[in-house]
Amino acid sequence: MNRERRKYFLSLAVSILLGLLIGALIMLATGHSPLEGYGALLSGAFGSRRGWGNTLYKTFQLCITGLATAIASSAGIFNVGGEGQMYLGALASSYLGARLAGVSPWIALPVCFLAAILSGALYAWIPAVLKVKLKINEVITTILMNSIAIFFCSYMANGPLKTLERGVNSGTDAIDKAFRFTRLIPGSNLSETVFYIAAISLFVWYLMSRTATGYEMRLTGQNERFSRFIGLKAGALGIGGMLISGAMCGALGMFECFALQNRFKPDFSSEFYFDGMLVAMIMRYKPLGIILMSFFFGALKMGAISMQSSTGISSELILIIQSVIIFLMAAEEGFLRRLQERRLHRQSIVKEG
Amino acid sequence: MDLSSIFNVGTLLNTFNTATIVILAGLGCLMTAQAGMMNIGIDGMMTAGAFAAAVGSWYFGSWGMGLVCALLAGLIFGLFYGVMVIRYKSDEFIIGVALNIFAVALTTFILRTVLKQSGSFHPASGAVNTLPYFSLGEIGGTAVNISVMVPLSWLLVALCAVMLYRTPAGFWLRAAGEHPDSLRSAGRNPEKMKYVGALSCGLLCGLSGAYLSLGYLSTFTENMSAERGYVAVACVIFGRSHPVFVFLAALLFGFIDAAGMRMQGLVDPTLTATFPYVGTILMMVFLALRQQAKKKAKA
Amino acid sequence: MSESESIIRFSHVSMQFPDVLANDDVTLEIRKGEVFALVGENGAGKSTLMNILYGMNTPTGGTVTVKGEPIRVFSPGEAIRRGIGMVHQHFMLVPSFTVAQNIVLGTEPRRGLFTDAARTDRIVEELVSEYGLKVNARDRVEDISVGLQQRVEILKTLHRGADILILDEPTAVLTPQETDELFEVIRRMVREKQMTVIIITHKLYEVMAISDRVGVMRQGKLVGVCNTCEVNERILSSMMVGKDVLLDALERVDDHDDTVAIRVEDLYVSDNRGLPAVRGISLQVERGEVLGIAGIEGNGQSELIEAITGLRRRDRGTVEIQGVDTRGMDPGQIRALGLAHVPEDRLSTGVSAQSDITDNLVVGKERRKPFSVFGFHLNRRAMKAYAKEVFDRYDIRAAGIGTQVGSLSGGNMQKVVVAREFSFDTPVLIISQPTRGVDIGAMDFIHQQIMAKRNASCAILLVSADLDELYRLSDRLVTIYEGKITGEFRPEEIGKQEISHYMTGGGREASVDEP
Repeated sequence: MNRERRKYFLSLAVSILLGLLIGALIMLATGHSPLEGYGALLSGAFGSRRGWGNTLYKTFQLCITGLATAIASSAGIFNVGGEGQMYLGALASSYLGARLAGVSPWIALPVCFLAAILSGALYAWIPAVLKVKLKINEVITTILMNSIAIFFCSYMANGPLKTLERGVNSGTDAIDKAFRFTRLIPGSNLSETVFYIAAISLFVWYLMSRTATGYEMRLTGQNERFSRFIGLKAGALGIGGMLISGAMCGALGMFECFALQNRFKPDFSSEFYFDGMLVAMIMRYKPLGIILMSFFFGALKMGAISMQSSTGISSELILIIQSVIIFLMAAEEGFLRRLQERRLHRQSIVKEG
Repeated sequence: MDLSSIFNVGTLLNTFNTATIVILAGLGCLMTAQAGMMNIGIDGMMTAGAFAAAVGSWYFGSWGMGLVCALLAGLIFGLFYGVMVIRYKSDEFIIGVALNIFAVALTTFILRTVLKQSGSFHPASGAVNTLPYFSLGEIGGTAVNISVMVPLSWLLVALCAVMLYRTPAGFWLRAAGEHPDSLRSAGRNPEKMKYVGALSCGLLCGLSGAYLSLGYLSTFTENMSAERGYVAVACVIFGRSHPVFVFLAALLFGFIDAAGMRMQGLVDPTLTATFPYVGTILMMVFLALRQQAKKKAKA
Repeated sequence: MSESESIIRFSHVSMQFPDVLANDDVTLEIRKGEVFALVGENGAGKSTLMNILYGMNTPTGGTVTVKGEPIRVFSPGEAIRRGIGMVHQHFMLVPSFTVAQNIVLGTEPRRGLFTDAARTDRIVEELVSEYGLKVNARDRVEDISVGLQQRVEILKTLHRGADILILDEPTAVLTPQETDELFEVIRRMVREKQMTVIIITHKLYEVMAISDRVGVMRQGKLVGVCNTCEVNERILSSMMVGKDVLLDALERVDDHDDTVAIRVEDLYVSDNRGLPAVRGISLQVERGEVLGIAGIEGNGQSELIEAITGLRRRDRGTVEIQGVDTRGMDPGQIRALGLAHVPEDRLSTGVSAQSDITDNLVVGKERRKPFSVFGFHLNRRAMKAYAKEVFDRYDIRAAGIGTQVGSLSGGNMQKVVVAREFSFDTPVLIISQPTRGVDIGAMDFIHQQIMAKRNASCAILLVSADLDELYRLSDRLVTIYEGKITGEFRPEEIGKQEISHYMTGGGREASVDEP
């Protein structure tokens, strides 16, 4: 392990500890016992089969969304729009999942999957092209496109595509039973989709860190001018990264609906993509790091939800802790540099006597 | 339905009401932009301001204190942004995005854990005192009110323009953004001016938040800025960081929003809600295309 | 010049940056009313020392005394208060501000809360008439020439009442006429206003022309101070490098095959602002020769190179590489015709600073064997083995091949770029400023590599701001001025003084006597 990497791990560990410490202070300040809070969190995440199931479900979800952020970022485009891409993928695949009822799952599922990844990728393609061709800031376009997609999908689910089924307030027709994914642990959200997510994640990890394409994307993301200079297709690599990112989000949208919701519902996601994006930001878009740390943050997230119900501490606390970790890691380099400069000055003053 | 139902006095007033949110936030954003920082964290600063305004106004029982709390919250967030970006030279985009997530999480957390409410803030006792407004009588059967913040925001546009282009501090702020070393070699501290930019950004975003929860609506709701902070950033890009042009861009946004609302009889309201966002993106595409054409024409 | 009182005294000044000791125990006195020249190679620490005097850096050791009082707080504001003004090598001007606004920046005249625009203009006009430095107060700085911008810088310091003026490489961007005018201004300021002027330069004939005394710096140390009238250029240059500058002649093999490998016809290119930068250039380079382009920076060289290599759109004209018209091709397609490129700006263009040495050496070949299987699956072991071999052969000084390229010194970073580009084994090489900011050892090494490529019958187009380098390597030289070629020579038939007149728009008739 070289020095850079050791320094990174150290700062990551310190940031996470400080983040958890700040979380504890917030609990104290709001009149809760941190021990009790974190205890409830731990037992929620690992205290039962159901807890384990949910933790693993969240782990895989963070994996795919985190890697989706990472692959676009590695190629130089910061995709904040995964939420919208996921919505479109979910809607398109769920619609087909209902319309293709009766068709063999061997045909229907691939078709639905194709629809999911295509709609996600297509929706990611727009801001990617705007960024590459017109230099329009992708953070702004993607975040605005999230709102557009969510409003649009909820319009569809409440309007033209609304199911006639009784007792369903908003949502499309039910997906054919033969197409649904089975749950692995009853009562938890863990379903067989984790195998597909694992396959996708492995593929993306391989692409990013073991192939010439991933290598070229990384160099493009680090220095676009250099990439063009050396003869790489910088624009195509950036757009390619976004297409894969969008496709992954679209696929997740399908998995969520086909495994858990049984139809498209406008409220199927509670900002799933942003959870993964935060993990990717903390891990500085390193694929292996994202895969490994997904488990930690997955446990934190799912544990926090049961902490909320047993202690009344809102699960938003985890988002606070995560953003604090990001702040600490973003400031770390500048902070250490200032320390070093100060030390140099102090040394010279001492030397002067 | 004819056009007059879309283009009427009501739409105009709605335009002003909605635009004010973006005008104030846009002014904040442009103060950082002029000082050489791209602040994506506008949305979070607004959310913090909106929350502080509503809770302060309820706790102290006056809108004035609500305003003070919002300004204070904005100031703290602005200072934090400044310390991270200016002092520790962190990546502005990462800080901005994380700031937005942090602000939503923090306000929601306090609302749920401390105030024991969920969704929006409706205190059991006491009330959220909203900002004063001017009553313009009745138009088309509905009472029409304009919050004091609306004309105040226009005043602030002029104030920002004068400050940036007619006072020494404005020259220093712009020099700090465009060429910090030139200011340093002139014996003035560019970091200080960048802090001025970040802090005034915080104040203006706090004000925008206060208007959001005490003027535009009458209490705080979770995630209430609804990405308008990003719209403000887009307006600053579109208006090339000049207060007057940013103001016009914000009005355009307000108009699209208001016209969309007027069309609700015609089109589903969930669909019209997308108009301002689509409009903002189109605005940016238009600007980029025009700039590209200009460059080509020159060559 | 009489032995007058000392006005500035550096005693035992050191400046330690996190990665380099830029000033090492410098003790120096500057006298009132003199023109003091500070010379040294790139990176010798001249600018750092003057930045300390101007308060841009706080020294990590030693004291600086100005007019008898030691400086305690190092800041430009403090320096200005003590009457020090500095014209930096990279101008400290805000491009979108007017000339007048730049001159008064930091000390704007006020009317109440506001700036007083009328008084600003008046102040500038008074300054202009007092010192005879003509500028137009209302012009925007981004629209005026570099020479005028320098005037604005000087006026800025005068406006703040400076009586000690530091000029950092003031003539680097000036034409000979502008240089003469500047020197006239300096002489007048010293004579009439009793100012003290410190001029940083590495052009020794300028030292001889303008200065009373000269200090020589090398590797952060002050190695000598002399009266200018007691030394000559040869003595100074050997003090600057610490040994005789003469490098061994390079071996030239002459079996030059006259196939044209680069052909440029009537090329027009615009700069970033859309203004014409290259205006009708035609040239050709044959296999086995080095064509050197001599010119003052900013005369279209960068745009020319970028247009040839496909990094910049061209407005008109053709570029042929190996007989193929490159119209509409991107840099990758042009490289595929057999071209490699060492760019002028290595940090932003030539390397990926955040990546390690291995990645920077392999890139461009990652789809070839043995670095990948089927052009897809990377063979990291082969990449590392290759990087290690190049690392040793080029004698790159770093902890190892896993070192981030951004943390390397200029010379080592340039070795990475040269190693990568030369390893493509292309018949055409485009090389820009190959040894800028590189120490003399690395420079000699890089020159030998270039000559070896030439001897292996590559066609080489070389752009450099360093005339010595051009003379050492080139078979033919062309001069470029304002985007046009102003002359073509064999290095042995023209002297450096004469060629610099072609570089600044003069012709042979304008040339001065040859040494």
